[in-house]
Amino acid sequence: MSFLSASFLRKAAVVPALVGAMMLTACGGGSLGGGSGGSGGTSGSVKIGLSVPKSGTYAALGKDMEQGFKLYLTQNDNKLGGKTVQLVETDEGNGPQTGIPATERLVTQDQVSAVVGLVNSATASGLANTFNQNKVPLIVANAGSDKLVDTPSDYIWRTSFTNGGVNAPMGAKVKEEIGSGSVYLLGSDYAAGKEQVGGFKKAFTAAGGKVAGEEYTPPFGATTDWQPYLNNVRNSGAKAVYVFYAGSEAVGFVKQFKQFLGGTGIKLYGSGFLTEGSVLDAQGDAANGVQTSLHYSDQLDNPKNKEFVKAYSDAYKTSPTVYSVQAYDAANVLAEALKKADGTTGEAIGAAIGKVGQIDSPRGTWSFNAQHDPDQKYYLREVRVVDGKRVNAVVEELKAG
Amino acid sequence: MDWFVANSVTMVNGIALGAVLFIVAIGLSLVFGTMDVLNLAHGSIALIGAYVGVAVLGGGASSALSFAAVLVAALVGLLAGVLLAVLTTSVRDHLRQAMLTLGVAMIVGDLLLMVFGGDVKTVPPPPALAGSVPFLGAPYPVYRLVLIGVGLVVGIGLWLLLEKTTIGAVVRATVNDRGMVEAIGVRTRLVLAGVFGGGAALAAVGGLIASPLMGAQPGNDNLMLVYALVIVVIGGLGSLKGAAVGALLVGEVQTVGVALLSGYASFLMFAVMAAILLIKPAGLLPSKHGHGGGH
Repeated sequence: MSFLSASFLRKAAVVPALVGAMMLTACGGGSLGGGSGGSGGTSGSVKIGLSVPKSGTYAALGKDMEQGFKLYLTQNDNKLGGKTVQLVETDEGNGPQTGIPATERLVTQDQVSAVVGLVNSATASGLANTFNQNKVPLIVANAGSDKLVDTPSDYIWRTSFTNGGVNAPMGAKVKEEIGSGSVYLLGSDYAAGKEQVGGFKKAFTAAGGKVAGEEYTPPFGATTDWQPYLNNVRNSGAKAVYVFYAGSEAVGFVKQFKQFLGGTGIKLYGSGFLTEGSVLDAQGDAANGVQTSLHYSDQLDNPKNKEFVKAYSDAYKTSPTVYSVQAYDAANVLAEALKKADGTTGEAIGAAIGKVGQIDSPRGTWSFNAQHDPDQKYYLREVRVVDGKRVNAVVEELKAG
Repeated sequence: MDWFVANSVTMVNGIALGAVLFIVAIGLSLVFGTMDVLNLAHGSIALIGAYVGVAVLGGGASSALSFAAVLVAALVGLLAGVLLAVLTTSVRDHLRQAMLTLGVAMIVGDLLLMVFGGDVKTVPPPPALAGSVPFLGAPYPVYRLVLIGVGLVVGIGLWLLLEKTTIGAVVRATVNDRGMVEAIGVRTRLVLAGVFGGGAALAAVGGLIASPLMGAQPGNDNLMLVYALVIVVIGGLGSLKGAAVGALLVGEVQTVGVALLSGYASFLMFAVMAAILLIKPAGLLPSKHGHGGGH
C-alpha cells in the first residue's frame, strides 16, 4: 500500500541522473579501418561518397551540405572534371558512434574514390587513419576542430574553416570598436565552443583588449535560461559580449540578450554561426544589429555568389548557407583535381588535390594552406532587415587575425 | 550586501523559474502519491503543451489566441493523462511502470519530431506581456513576473482544492488507504483517473507557459522530466508543499547557484539533490499521509 518505500526513493534518485546522462552526447574514440585499397571505376566514371547527417541534431545542416554538393553536380551534367559521378550517400548521424562506421563502409565496402562531408570533428579525426591507410582522399566540408590531424597528408583536406580561425579576425575589430572597454566571453561548454571563443580571446588580448569575464554554459540544450549569466555580464561592467552559440542555443541566447541587456548599450558580437541559417528566422527582431564573423554570407556582393544564390534559390526555394557553400566548394575541388589527376584512383585524386591552386568560390577565391585548411577571407556581418527579409549584411572584409 | 543587490534580479528570476517548474512537477508528485504510478512520460506531456503553443501561436500571438492555447493545452493534457491512467491501471510494479511510460515517452518524442521537425521553435508570450520593465535597476521581462503570480495562484488553488473540499478529502483518503475508500463506496479508479488527468493537464499548461522561455524542441521533454523528478525527490513524494519548496529550491539553484558557480552548472542541481537525500532520505516535506517505511 505504501508509495514511499525507502528502496524506491533510492531508485527515484537514480532516475534523474540516468536521464541526465542520456542527454549528454558521448564521444567515442576512433577506430581503425581494415579492408582493401580504394580504387576508382572505369575511365568514364568515378564513385564518390557523401557522408552528411540525415538524422539527429545536425540534420538541417546536413541537408544544406547535400543540396550544395548536388547543385554543383546538376550544374555540371552530373560530372566532376569530365567524369560521370556515381554518388553513394550515407547518414553521418549525431557523432562518431554512427559517423565512423557509416563512412568507413563507403571506403571499404563501396570502394569510393573520394569522400565528401562530415559535420562532427570527433568523427573526422577518428576517420583520418582509415583514409590514410586506404589511400582515399577525404574532403571535410564542415567539422571545424582547430587541428583535425597532427600531420597533413594527401588524403585529408578541408573546405570549411577552423574554429579559432573564424573568430580570430574579430579580435582586432572588437578592440577597435570598444576601445578601453572590456569584453565578456560566453560559450557552449564543449571543445568547439572553447576553440571558437578561444580564437577570439587570443587575438583580442593580443590587440590589448581586456576580458571582463569568461564563462562556459552546459552544452547540448542543457542551458535554456541565460539570465544568471547575463546578470553577471551586467555586474561586470563589460562594454560588449562575445559569444559562440549555435542551433537552439543561439536562438535562446540572442532572444534573452535582447530581453535582459537590450537598451543597456552593451553590444553583442559573436562567431558567425550565432546568426547563420534557420536560427536567424527564429531569433526574429532580437537579432537585429548583432555583429558576427564568418567566411560567407549569402549577401556577399560578387558575381560568382550572385549566380550561386540564384541557382540555389531556384533549385531549393531557400537561401544557401555557409554549409551549402562548403560542400559546393568540395565538389569544385574534386572537379579540379579530377581534371589534373592521372586516373580516378584515390591515390591519383589525393595527389591532384594538392595542385588545384585557387578555388573560385561564392565566398571569394581561396586556396589550401600548409595544414590543408582553406586560406580564406573573413567578413564582418551585421543582422539587418533588407527588402523585408532579415539577413546577415556584409559590413566589411576583416583583416586576418 | 553588495552581493545581495547584484544578485537580487537573479533571485527573482529563480522564483519565476521555480513557479513554472512547480506547475509541471506537481502533477508528477500527485500521480505518484495517489496512484503509486511513476510516470516517465510526464515530460513528454509538458513538451506536447509547448507544441500546442507552436501550433496555436506560431503565426503570431494575440490575447485571445494565448488564452485559447492554454485551454487547448489543458484539454490535450487531460486526455493524455486519462489515457496514461488506463494504460498503467493494471501495472503495479514500479520498474514495469517506468519501462512502459518511458516507452510511451520515446514514441511521443518521435511523433512530435515527425510532425514539428527538429528545429527549435519559439513561442511568443501574449502581446500584452511581451515587453521588459525596469525592475531593481535592470530591464526584466514582464512575462516572467507574471509567471510568479500564476505559480502562486495554481499553488493556492490546489491547496484549497485538496485540503478544503470534499473532492480533496476523497483524493487524500485514496492516497492514505485505497481499500478503505472503496469500502465506503467510492470508485477509486475514477479518483485516480481524475488525478492523473488533472496532473497531466497542469503539466501541459506548465510546458506551454514555459515555452516562451525554453522554446519548443526535441529534448525538452527529457529536460522537463529531469527537473520534475529532482523536484519531487527533493520535496518529498505526493506532497504539494514539498513540490513547491522543491521547485523554488531548484529554481534558485539553477539561477543564483549557476551565477555564482558557473563552472559547476551541469551538476549543481544533482549535487543539491544528493545532499538533501543524505540528510532527509524522504525529501524535505514528504506527504504526511504516506507511510515512510517499506511495503
